[in-house]
Amino acid sequence: MSSNDDTTRQVPTRAAEIVREYGPFDGAERIHGVTHDGQRVWAATEANVLAFDPDSGQVVRRLDCAAHAGTAFDGTHLYQIAETRIDKIDPATGAVVASIPAPGNGGDSGLTWAEGSLWVGQYRDRKIHQIDPATGAIVRTIESNRFVTGVTWVDGELWHATWDGDDNELRRIDPDNGAVLERLELPHGIGVSGLESDGADLFYCGGGSSGKVRAVRRPKSATR
Amino acid sequence: MDSLIAAAGRALAVGDALGALDRVALRDDPPALALRGIAMAQLGEYPRARELLRRAARGFGAREALAGARCVVAEAEVALAMRDLGGSPRLLAQAAAALEARDDRANAMQARLIAVRRQLLLGRLDEAAVSLAGLDASGLPPSLAAVAELAAAELALRSLRTVVARAAMERALDAAQRARVPALIAEVAEARAALDRSAARTIHAGHEQPLRLDQVEALLASDALVVDACRRGLRAGDRWQSLARRPVLFALLCALAEGWPGDVERGALIARVFRTQHPDETHRARLRVEIGRLRALIAPLAAVEASTRGFELVPRDGRAVVVLMPPIDGDQASLLALLGDGAAWSTSALALALGDSQRTVQRALVELEAAAQVRSIGHARAQRWLAPPLVGFTTILLLPAALPPE
Repeated sequence: MSSNDDTTRQVPTRAAEIVREYGPFDGAERIHGVTHDGQRVWAATEANVLAFDPDSGQVVRRLDCAAHAGTAFDGTHLYQIAETRIDKIDPATGAVVASIPAPGNGGDSGLTWAEGSLWVGQYRDRKIHQIDPATGAIVRTIESNRFVTGVTWVDGELWHATWDGDDNELRRIDPDNGAVLERLELPHGIGVSGLESDGADLFYCGGGSSGKVRAVRRPKSATR
Repeated sequence: MDSLIAAAGRALAVGDALGALDRVALRDDPPALALRGIAMAQLGEYPRARELLRRAARGFGAREALAGARCVVAEAEVALAMRDLGGSPRLLAQAAAALEARDDRANAMQARLIAVRRQLLLGRLDEAAVSLAGLDASGLPPSLAAVAELAAAELALRSLRTVVARAAMERALDAAQRARVPALIAEVAEARAALDRSAARTIHAGHEQPLRLDQVEALLASDALVVDACRRGLRAGDRWQSLARRPVLFALLCALAEGWPGDVERGALIARVFRTQHPDETHRARLRVEIGRLRALIAPLAAVEASTRGFELVPRDGRAVVVLMPPIDGDQASLLALLGDGAAWSTSALALALGDSQRTVQRALVELEAAAQVRSIGHARAQRWLAPPLVGFTTILLLPAALPPE
């Protein structure tokens, strides 16, 4: 791990710019996963999943369902990690329409949808799994060298959040070999429990027990 | 935090310890160990809980200092509930500092309160008072505020300041009710009941009268010359002359005080103090010597004057004499009364104070310990004996959330 740390120190690093904070929301002590459906931001709060309008910050929907970690949206359905499974949820009714086993067997943290696959962060095992959303079968696994919480894809870039002690960051990694390409450092003591891009220049970050969701500006990347 | 840890943490938060265990029973990563430890503690499995919390604290390591510190605090609280006071206060202080540095005020306060309660249990009342005075309980969860007030009440009771103690208990009850923790409310109620129970008796001119703690306090603050058979000494206002290490002199003083305002016959004094029914000249000579010693010791507070039959106690400044006795008779009651000052006594000091042999005292202590009326700390020569706290506040657990930051 120390050699990996040496390499990560050489990658571009800057301070994360927090643009806006949402919450804490009524009845939601913690925020785990977050996702974005093109208009609303969805946040997993243990006992339910709520949706809020990022412009007004108002909660516009609340689904009653177990929501212990990452959240994702595939254009039609929400996916939500609960205990050792991933529930596929109809966002209109809150009904669970299917469930698959989570690859980390309960050690799962982040979740995102991209290119027909689900990507699942396995927290303390420092892994990201690409899985088949129909069966839960693992397609491949990317290793990180930090605890993995949120995971998101945007413009072909794979980003994950790490909550590992006091100093936490958003990292862009090479999906082929896990190499760290870019780092956004969060202020000391602020962690990210869930991560989702809005498809443009913002990341939404779950704030764990702070009960907040934070919007962080995505940097203009050298590769774009 | 991962999904099962979140689910188990939520189960614990709503009091479902078994549900929490179900979810993490087979995992050995530090957050799972911490949750298992807390669940075990809630189920009363203290030794197992300590072991799990210790492993969790080690596993978190330097990078996850916050989670590690919370485990140290949880383990210390379980140790306190087990009355195992041998843990390192330094480790707990370090955990408190680490929590403060990371703005986790509630758990830092929890750690400091555990340290205070440990000092109270060890009979280190001065240290406890200093620690307690340094705490700022404002803006904390009501359950912690209740514990802080209970500690203050205990400290006030030990130094017989019942008005202060009662006020602290009222605040503790208010906080406990806001916290809505039934066990905590019950403990405060129990502690308040101690104020209304009979704590001692007076013997005045042959009449016995039971006293509550506040009446004891009022008596000690009065003009009377109090011969205190609970703490073995003589008190007049602020002046206190201990006779704890002079059992013969104290027995003489008690006999004289019980006879006040009259005198007490020589034969009666000899029978009581030297425990013989057949006095001879040597006993009378010894009595004169002991009376001389007693005179010298209590001279600032009272005189002992010879009468034709024997001797009489004559307080200075025309004070009345009152004898304060343990609430019930017997050797064990005397032992408990001595321990009632909250200090840690050695067996030899107790034996000396009571004028009994160490073996007699030891036997009585073993019986009292079996009945949970006294506690001991340390072993062999370093063993010390204490009364149980008046406020039984250490039986409930307010375990911190020993989870990763999220």
